[in-house]
Amino acid sequence: MSARDLLPGSELCVHCGFCLQACPTYLALDDENDSPRGRIVLMKAIAEGTLAPGDDDANRHLDQCLGCRACESACPSGVPYGHLLEATRERLATVHPLPVVARLVLVVFASPLLTRAAMLGARVLRATGVATLLARAPGRIGASMAMLASTRRAASRAARAAPAGDGRRGTVATLDGCVMEGLFTAANRATERVLEANDYRHVSAPGQQCCGALHVHAGDAARARTLARANIAAFERSGADLIAVNSAGCGAMLKEYGHLLRDDPQWRDRARAFSARVRDVSELLAAAGPRAAGPLDGAPRVTYDAPCHLLHAQRVADPPLRALRAIRDVDLVPLPDADQCCGSAGLYSLVEPGLSQRVLSPKLAHIAATGAAVVASGNPGCLMHIGAGLIRSGATTVARHPVELLDAAYARTGPSA
Amino acid sequence: MLSEELIAIVGERHVLSRPAELLAYENDGLPGYHSRPRLAVFPGTRDEVVAVVAALWRAGVPFVPRGAGTGLSGGALAGDVVLLGLQRLRRIVAVDPVARTALVEPGVVNASLTKAATPFGLHYAPDPSSQTACTIGGNVAENAGGPHCLKYGVTLNHVLAATVLLPDGEIVALETPRDGRAGYDLLGAFVGSEGCFGVALDVTVRLTPNPESVVTLLADFRSLDAAAHAVSAIIAEGILPAACEMMDDATIRAVEASIYAAGYPVDAAAVLLVELDGAAAGLADDVAAVDRLCRASGARDVRTASDAAERARLWQGRKKAFGAMGRIAPDLVVQDAVVPRTKLAPILARIAEIGARHRVRVCNVFHAGDGNLHPNIPYDASDADEAARVHAAMREVMELCIAEGGSITGEHGVGRDKLAYMDRLFPAASLDAMCRLRDAFDPRRRANPGKVVPARYCREWAGVTDVEP
Ligand SMILES: Cc1cc2nc3c(=O)[nH]c(=O)nc-3n(C[C@H](O)[C@H](O)[C@H](O)COP(=O)(O)OP(=O)(O)OC[C@H]3O[C@@H](n4cnc5c(N)ncnc54)[C@H](O)[C@@H]3O)c2cc1C
Ligand code: SF4
Ligand code: SF4
Repeated sequence: MSARDLLPGSELCVHCGFCLQACPTYLALDDENDSPRGRIVLMKAIAEGTLAPGDDDANRHLDQCLGCRACESACPSGVPYGHLLEATRERLATVHPLPVVARLVLVVFASPLLTRAAMLGARVLRATGVATLLARAPGRIGASMAMLASTRRAASRAARAAPAGDGRRGTVATLDGCVMEGLFTAANRATERVLEANDYRHVSAPGQQCCGALHVHAGDAARARTLARANIAAFERSGADLIAVNSAGCGAMLKEYGHLLRDDPQWRDRARAFSARVRDVSELLAAAGPRAAGPLDGAPRVTYDAPCHLLHAQRVADPPLRALRAIRDVDLVPLPDADQCCGSAGLYSLVEPGLSQRVLSPKLAHIAATGAAVVASGNPGCLMHIGAGLIRSGATTVARHPVELLDAAYARTGPSA
Repeated sequence: MLSEELIAIVGERHVLSRPAELLAYENDGLPGYHSRPRLAVFPGTRDEVVAVVAALWRAGVPFVPRGAGTGLSGGALAGDVVLLGLQRLRRIVAVDPVARTALVEPGVVNASLTKAATPFGLHYAPDPSSQTACTIGGNVAENAGGPHCLKYGVTLNHVLAATVLLPDGEIVALETPRDGRAGYDLLGAFVGSEGCFGVALDVTVRLTPNPESVVTLLADFRSLDAAAHAVSAIIAEGILPAACEMMDDATIRAVEASIYAAGYPVDAAAVLLVELDGAAAGLADDVAAVDRLCRASGARDVRTASDAAERARLWQGRKKAFGAMGRIAPDLVVQDAVVPRTKLAPILARIAEIGARHRVRVCNVFHAGDGNLHPNIPYDASDADEAARVHAAMREVMELCIAEGGSITGEHGVGRDKLAYMDRLFPAASLDAMCRLRDAFDPRRRANPGKVVPARYCREWAGVTDVEP
């Protein structure tokens, strides 16, 4: 059998090299084995059996892939790199198991109960100030504490009434998201408010679970499929017209349920219909305008870093900027190389800490050069990874979700009519 | 052992010897060839390159320089010899906006050089379609061209000096004789030497001021023939466009299906992308003339890019076209030939006829203004009958170009792929002369052996059989 049957999509690669300079790990490591083109060669060889699935070299280079899919945004031939990587990781899962920490995280996220417990523990560390205290400690502990500390928000003023919109744009259910609901609770409530303010009617979707993205990326597609089915059912029950996601990584996953369940005859059509209703929150806002408001206190300078899973995986480029431009007098400055990965990449910062930091450092330098007080990005992983990097480098810049900023502007002056 | 010696120079991570890690270096941008290097070594500094080449010389092991591996003639194939990767040497050492020059290391990516020159209102003019990936070292070795080379000249016209490391370890500074200095143009000989004369350690290039104004036209034709006539008409009128590129229907559709969709008309048989640039005054006359000539040749429509963003989109589509052909079929034969541009229309018709006779799909995307054709054929190599037809058709196309007074390569080089055509194009005495020129740089054939000139034509090497890299 040829690569086309064994690893569908890999036959599209013509080896042109256009993806090389788009790849953060190629730029950091200067080896084609750590480039999209080289990894496709490795994945094909594994699929065709010319390389043993247990080959250490191949596994190392594949493990070093961020899964950022910047290569897809550069590829004229439409190589579905993300799918190739997921298929390969699924193939390798048994012979090349993940490190223990990563497996632990996957187990936790697969269970709503464990997730809630873990997030509660994290919030305790954060509330007691332990996270802030240890944020600049060396090593992994310090890095994790800094990530946690970066999610701290000043206690919000009295609960705000939802700003009145007329709901004419239809009903929207939001994905809570494990990390978003656990650590970015404020951003989740802000998401609901800004949607309402822009004439969507928010409904809840009880029974929803982790999106399964981390599982798919780690090769555990079986568990991801179980989660996907639960989510499809939960959102169907909600009766919502649209599903809004404020975490780029989760949104990309939800939009791929159709692909994930393509071989499941019972769920295939439901999955496709579900994926077709998924939107990043910024897409919904952009479709509605969004309504203007502000200025923010002190009209801070803001810059925007595109989450890879929004820009490269979902191809959503402008909507988050439109949401930010709806803030009056916003001093929005472009971030050089905003299309490059920050190094967060799901579990990557946990399993490849060294390379993850190397990818992060130019990002921090670019942010510093903009002089921005706030860097906006719509993905919890990026917010924490960049946020932690900022804290650990002593910067005063903070990382925020774009909807948090828009919501703050609405709170200040109310949305325009 | 050689690998240990090399590790001592560049560090463990930068010497690859295990089969899995050499797979990615088995080919360059040319589909269809695979040959595994014995070792791959990636020096990080100029001193490391010098030390590596010295070690290889002592060990008697040939090597193949490699830039980004986007070459389309198999020039960087390194079967059983050492692959010397230069992509880590990517420092832009200096940009001199007053003298309008830049000094760069060989691994600098073509597009990054222009990016570095942009703040000064300058750019690096040779713009191969692969410019976002290929390196200046590879450009020098292939004497690369690009759409804008029609007006501005190819790499050779933009390289002012190079420091070259000969395979025996000697370092020579090559410069084009100018400003009244005399002597042979050794730099001219080195540019286009396809890695066979040594390694470019650094290159001084000319930077070109950005034109005061630019107009990009997209003309849409119902036949390839009409588009070819328009090209001849434009040239005959005495207009020198900055670029004049043609794409046929299959190519247009592949691009439009890709993320680089440029808004080309998908129902056209061919489009011409014509760019005019220069001083604002007088440009409008040329634009009007090109518009008129295209319409007179049968263009359905001619439009101009309304702003820089649209212009960039039109060019991106053209430049990524080769990559987009991966969508048409799993395998691809890439071709590069030059024909007299006055004969463009009849030759394109003959190529179409050859394709039809062999039942293969020829996709044309090329530098029409220079008569530099790229008739590419997407196909399925697992179908032996189709593969045979494709190769038979390609051979006929190349014979045709030679018979019409053209050449077997306009810009991709001879490398490994075109070796077999060399003796159709050149008499034995010319090939022997090329061998002797090479001997002046690399008498022991240590740099990129087995490429460009078939060894049997080198008199002093009689009896040597060609290595199949
Ligand atoms: C999509 C696509 C479009 C292309 N479009 C064009 C085009 O428009 N015009 C054009 O001319 N070409 C084009 N090419 C071909 C290719 O990009 C050029 O030949 C380019 O110059 C190769 O550069 P590279 O760095 O990839 O070199 P490689 O492929 O790595 O090497 C090419 C040759 O250069 C030698 N070499 C590399 N570096 C050095 C060095 N430092 N010193 C000595 N020798 C060296 C190698 O030994 C080899 O023989 C295209 C290729 C692709 C894939
Ligand atoms: S850009 Fe696409 S086709 Fe080209 S080498 Fe990369 S993955 Fe392959
Ligand atoms: S997903 Fe990102 S890191 Fe992985 S090969 Fe593509 S560009 Fe490189």
